[in-house]
Amino acid sequence: MTDTSVIDEVSPVVADGLAVQVRDLRMSYGSTEVLRGVDFDVRYGEVFCLLGPNGAGKTTTLEILEGFRRPTGGTVRVLGLNPAAQAARLRERVGMVLQECGFPRQARVAELIDIWRSYYPHPRPLGELLDVVELAEVRNTQVRKLSGGQRRRLDFALALAGDPDVVFLDEPTTGFDPEARRRCWAAIENLRRLGTTILLTTHYLDEAECLADRIAILQAGRIELAGTTHEVAARAGLATRVSFTTPSALRRGQVALPDGVGLAVRGPVSVCHTDNAAVTLRRLLDWAVENRLGDLDGLAVAAPSLEDTYLQLAGTDPDLETM
Amino acid sequence: MTRSVRLAARQALLEQRSFWRSAEYALFTFAFPLMILLLIGAANVGSYLPGTHVKNTTVFVPSILAFGVIVAAYVNLGSKVAVLRHDGVLKRIKTTPLPSAAYLGGLLASTVATVVLITACTGLIGWLAFGAGPRPGGLPALTGGLVLGIVCFATLGLAISSVITSAESAGPIAYASFLPIAIISGVFDPTFGGLPQWMSRMVAAFPVKALAQLMQGAYTVRPFPAWDLVNLALWTAAGAGFVAWRFRWHS
Repeated sequence: MTDTSVIDEVSPVVADGLAVQVRDLRMSYGSTEVLRGVDFDVRYGEVFCLLGPNGAGKTTTLEILEGFRRPTGGTVRVLGLNPAAQAARLRERVGMVLQECGFPRQARVAELIDIWRSYYPHPRPLGELLDVVELAEVRNTQVRKLSGGQRRRLDFALALAGDPDVVFLDEPTTGFDPEARRRCWAAIENLRRLGTTILLTTHYLDEAECLADRIAILQAGRIELAGTTHEVAARAGLATRVSFTTPSALRRGQVALPDGVGLAVRGPVSVCHTDNAAVTLRRLLDWAVENRLGDLDGLAVAAPSLEDTYLQLAGTDPDLETM
Repeated sequence: MTRSVRLAARQALLEQRSFWRSAEYALFTFAFPLMILLLIGAANVGSYLPGTHVKNTTVFVPSILAFGVIVAAYVNLGSKVAVLRHDGVLKRIKTTPLPSAAYLGGLLASTVATVVLITACTGLIGWLAFGAGPRPGGLPALTGGLVLGIVCFATLGLAISSVITSAESAGPIAYASFLPIAIISGVFDPTFGGLPQWMSRMVAAFPVKALAQLMQGAYTVRPFPAWDLVNLALWTAAGAGFVAWRFRWHS
């Protein structure tokens, strides 16, 4: 295999700026359809998050991208390579953190990272790896003595040992306490700063919101929505929420409700939803001046959050009934 | 190719370091055969095989050599691979570009190192304690026996690892699947005999006695061990077939 052939095959994809391409991906186990036509792209240098509840097909998608499973239908390309057919070449340029993968019990941290480096043609320096995942202090500790969070960061170090162009992280912080999660996120931020393209799966909203440049919501084997956090929320058709403390005059019925903004009084708080926050605010403030309500106390404008979107997709949002 | 060999050698070094790091495990691997050697050997001092001028210990020491080979190649490698699979280490190896052959080669090379060490210890102590050493010109037979023993029992070790489903049961299953056969094969008792016919047929069919007799051939003159060689070859082939069929990189 010559270098030229590698470049030839990869360069068109580099031009596209796509590290991962997934088109109409389908996967069935027997008669069970796990993936039912999944499409998404991951650009170079971005953190892309596949968000979805357990059983949505996240891990299956990742395992197909990693070359561990052959899809029933559709095409996937990772760095321009077909994972199922070109697994060996892919392994040299992709780092993977699988769910629940153990370490050799008696190995020490630095020793293990070092032997992992020897598996790759162009490894990252050992010291740099230890720094990125913040494990320099425990470099001589036996792996079995590490905490859960430290083990996960060692996972990252091993996945990074070969200086990969893409890293796949399958539910990197599931089951962690807040402190361990925070340090994991810091490690992922460090990866991003190195310019590594990251595709991660999670069922935590805050994780997706905090780490991802772009998000795709996977639900029952389909991508329901994809884009930046804001785009995803906007495309879900959710409105901006405007709220303020209900003025006492309004509560006592001494003031009529404003026209055309759909204001709902819910006890101490008054709320309305709108697609155009500016117009709604102007109307509300005009109405407040006319009725001598002063500045509306506790006035707040909230863009639709990812959580609203997610809950709406999952069909579990009681608040949506009132919209 | 040279890269794979270099990687395998590195893997083997790491395996050996890890092996000696868990001191109790390493010690037990060595202490078990050596303890049996010394205790049962002492009980047999001054005795001769019935109707011969061959000392019991001359047959017993090479039997324990065979026992050591089986412990290191079959029990240790088999349970080790089962634990590696159970812990997901094998699956993790599959995420790297390391060729599978280089990884397994490293595990095997480390096993060979353990076998050589255990054989040297057992042989040396058997010679010092009981004056039982290889016969003149017996070294080729000894080397041949070691090579065939490692190949056969390491293959069977990989095979049994595919049957073991939990890390906890790995050691017990590996031991329990060969100790009873070792006992009826007379590995621990040079004068063991008088088995019912069906049982001696069974003993002849298993590879434990075959390896013991090959090793005995290095200590005392024996007829050409045609059946023992065929036996080990058949078991190796069966083990390799099973490995090809059932070996998995993930549990």
